[in-house]
Amino acid sequence: MRTPISYFLVVSAMLFAIGTVGVLVRKNALVVFMSIELQLNAVNLAFVSFSRMHGNLNGQVLAFFSMVVAAAEVVVGLAIIVTVYRRRRSASVDDVSVLRG
Amino acid sequence: MLDAVWVIPALPLAGAVANLFLGRRLGTKAGWLGTAAVGAAFAVTVAVLLDLLALAGPERQHIVDLYEWIAAGDFRVQVSFLVDPLSMTMAMVVTGVGALIHLYAVGYMEHDPRVGRFFAYFNLFVAFMLVLVLADNYLLLYVGWEGVGLCSYLLIGFWFERPAAASAAKKAFVTTRIGDAAMLLGIVLVFVHFGSLEFGPVLGWGTSPSTVTGAGPSEGAATAIALLLLAGAVGKSAQLPLHVWLPDAMEGPTPVSALIHAATMVTAGVYLVVRSHALFEMSEVALTAVLVVGLLSAIYAALASIGQFDLKRALAYSTMSQIGFMFFAAGMGFYAGAMLLLVCHAFYKALLFLTSGNVMHGLDDEIDLRRMGGLKADMPVSATWFAIGALSLAGIPPLAGFFAKDHIVGFAYLSGRELAWVLASIGAFLSALYIARPLFLAFFGARRNPSHAHEAPWRMHAPLAVLAAGAVVSGLLLGFRAEGVLARFLEPALGLAEPGHADLSEAVLIAISIVLAVAAVGLAWFVWASGRVDWEAFPERQPELAGWLSNAFYLNAFYAWLVRAPGMGLGRGLRSVDDRIVDGAVNEVAEDVERASRLAPVLQSGFVRSYALAFLLGAVALLLFLGLRS
Repeated sequence: MRTPISYFLVVSAMLFAIGTVGVLVRKNALVVFMSIELQLNAVNLAFVSFSRMHGNLNGQVLAFFSMVVAAAEVVVGLAIIVTVYRRRRSASVDDVSVLRG
Repeated sequence: MLDAVWVIPALPLAGAVANLFLGRRLGTKAGWLGTAAVGAAFAVTVAVLLDLLALAGPERQHIVDLYEWIAAGDFRVQVSFLVDPLSMTMAMVVTGVGALIHLYAVGYMEHDPRVGRFFAYFNLFVAFMLVLVLADNYLLLYVGWEGVGLCSYLLIGFWFERPAAASAAKKAFVTTRIGDAAMLLGIVLVFVHFGSLEFGPVLGWGTSPSTVTGAGPSEGAATAIALLLLAGAVGKSAQLPLHVWLPDAMEGPTPVSALIHAATMVTAGVYLVVRSHALFEMSEVALTAVLVVGLLSAIYAALASIGQFDLKRALAYSTMSQIGFMFFAAGMGFYAGAMLLLVCHAFYKALLFLTSGNVMHGLDDEIDLRRMGGLKADMPVSATWFAIGALSLAGIPPLAGFFAKDHIVGFAYLSGRELAWVLASIGAFLSALYIARPLFLAFFGARRNPSHAHEAPWRMHAPLAVLAAGAVVSGLLLGFRAEGVLARFLEPALGLAEPGHADLSEAVLIAISIVLAVAAVGLAWFVWASGRVDWEAFPERQPELAGWLSNAFYLNAFYAWLVRAPGMGLGRGLRSVDDRIVDGAVNEVAEDVERASRLAPVLQSGFVRSYALAFLLGAVALLLFLGLRS
């Protein structure tokens, strides 16, 4: 018996919502970063679910692309966070507001 | 040799170019280069003159066509030079006196750091002056006319670090420009009425190949042309009412004052009138205007000169007065007399100016007559030169000025102009008075300057000796009688003036003129050198009269009032229009844009989380929009 597609989508939506709230309310850059990863993975889950529903591989391929982009993004993002932390002894995103107009 | 006349202006032009490019490297040798260029031009002029003299009288007119300058339909202008007695007389004065003054300037400008530039301008002036006097048409003459004006501007303002020199240069340029504009209109009218600008067809002599299309002017048109040309001449020659620039022009180096503002350029107006005499003779009004302008300027400037304590300004007014006499002579139709005075004046006035240069050198640029006095002990040679020049100008026989001035004053009587004769005699008396005054104030009487004046070196005296010789003998040689050597030489170009015969004989007239001159010099000695008159207290005892004389009847102040206040008002008005309307519109737009742009930074808080919220809201709004639409 196959689990209905809606289950997966609900989990995916919940994960995305949790990630979004994390991005918006947390100050620590690392936590914000993890929340972004959560959003990405929620979307990956939705891709894979749709792939199964439609019975083709398009969604799974797209999920792989998404993971590659996420991995690259982590490399750059973490490097920035570490550099900012070294400079300011803080990883708060609100402290990095030098570019305000 | 006659065809080589173009070499005469080309030589100083080449000197000017050489000095312009190499002047800095040549250093003090620049002066010798410049002097050599003008000296060579003088030699060529003499050669051309000898060739001209070899021709028979009526054939003494040779036109050298170089090339066609402008060809536009009927309007054709050649670059062509005219060799005739009148142009050669002028060229001799310009190159001869010019070479001597160049030689003097070598010593005078020795210590100036910009000596190369000085001689470049000085040579350029000579080149333009020669173009002016040798030109065969009015347009080429106008080229020279404007060229000498430019050089005059550059040389008056040669020491441009001094604000007085810079503004004097501007004043000279702008004032003469008024006359030049009128003259240009006159030249245009000449073309309209004669269909040509060449002297031959316009002045009614010679057989020129160009076709004359105009029918010749009516008397009214001739009057207009002549008066417009006269306006140009008045501006250039510093006659009333455009004379105000000449006294200020003395801010230039003294050789410049001697060459440009005494001997040559300021006499260009006289040359123009004499050259165009056929035009002036078409209109009684124009000739009378020349006469009146000349006579008034002569007397006005003579009175103003008496009021000056600045040696060079006194000489400047004297120049204006002498040129007034030349205009006076030309206005009576006595052109040869005007030319004789022009030649003699070039000698003695250049001599006087250069000697005053010696005095300034000797006294560390002291120019105030009140701080001179008794200089003949320190500078005996310069004192001799100044005395020769002054007595020549004063009209003491047998010096040059006596003959030159006496012919003119006498002619006034002999041609039946008794009133003009009386006025001219008063002018002659005042001339002798005003020129004897600086002689006695500077070189005689009590010593009023404690510093010891040193005499100038020999190479500054050498040109002075030649000029002094000219100031002594030129009248005797060229104009012993009114129909003298110069008058007969000029006859093919100018004709001979025919004075009527009046009841006083010439001998009586000569006697009157000698008595007046001697009396004036004696009076000057009594007032300014005998020590019996306290002339220094005069401004206090007669403040009004002294003010009128020393300020030249306040004409300068009057012009300033006439031009300055409305000019400043206009300027202020235009400036407020510019500030409020033109700039105002631009500034207002810029300020509005800036004010609007101040709102934008509010959006850019720098907080990443608020950006993320914006993304989210945007995405939700987009989804809602899409969802609701379908």
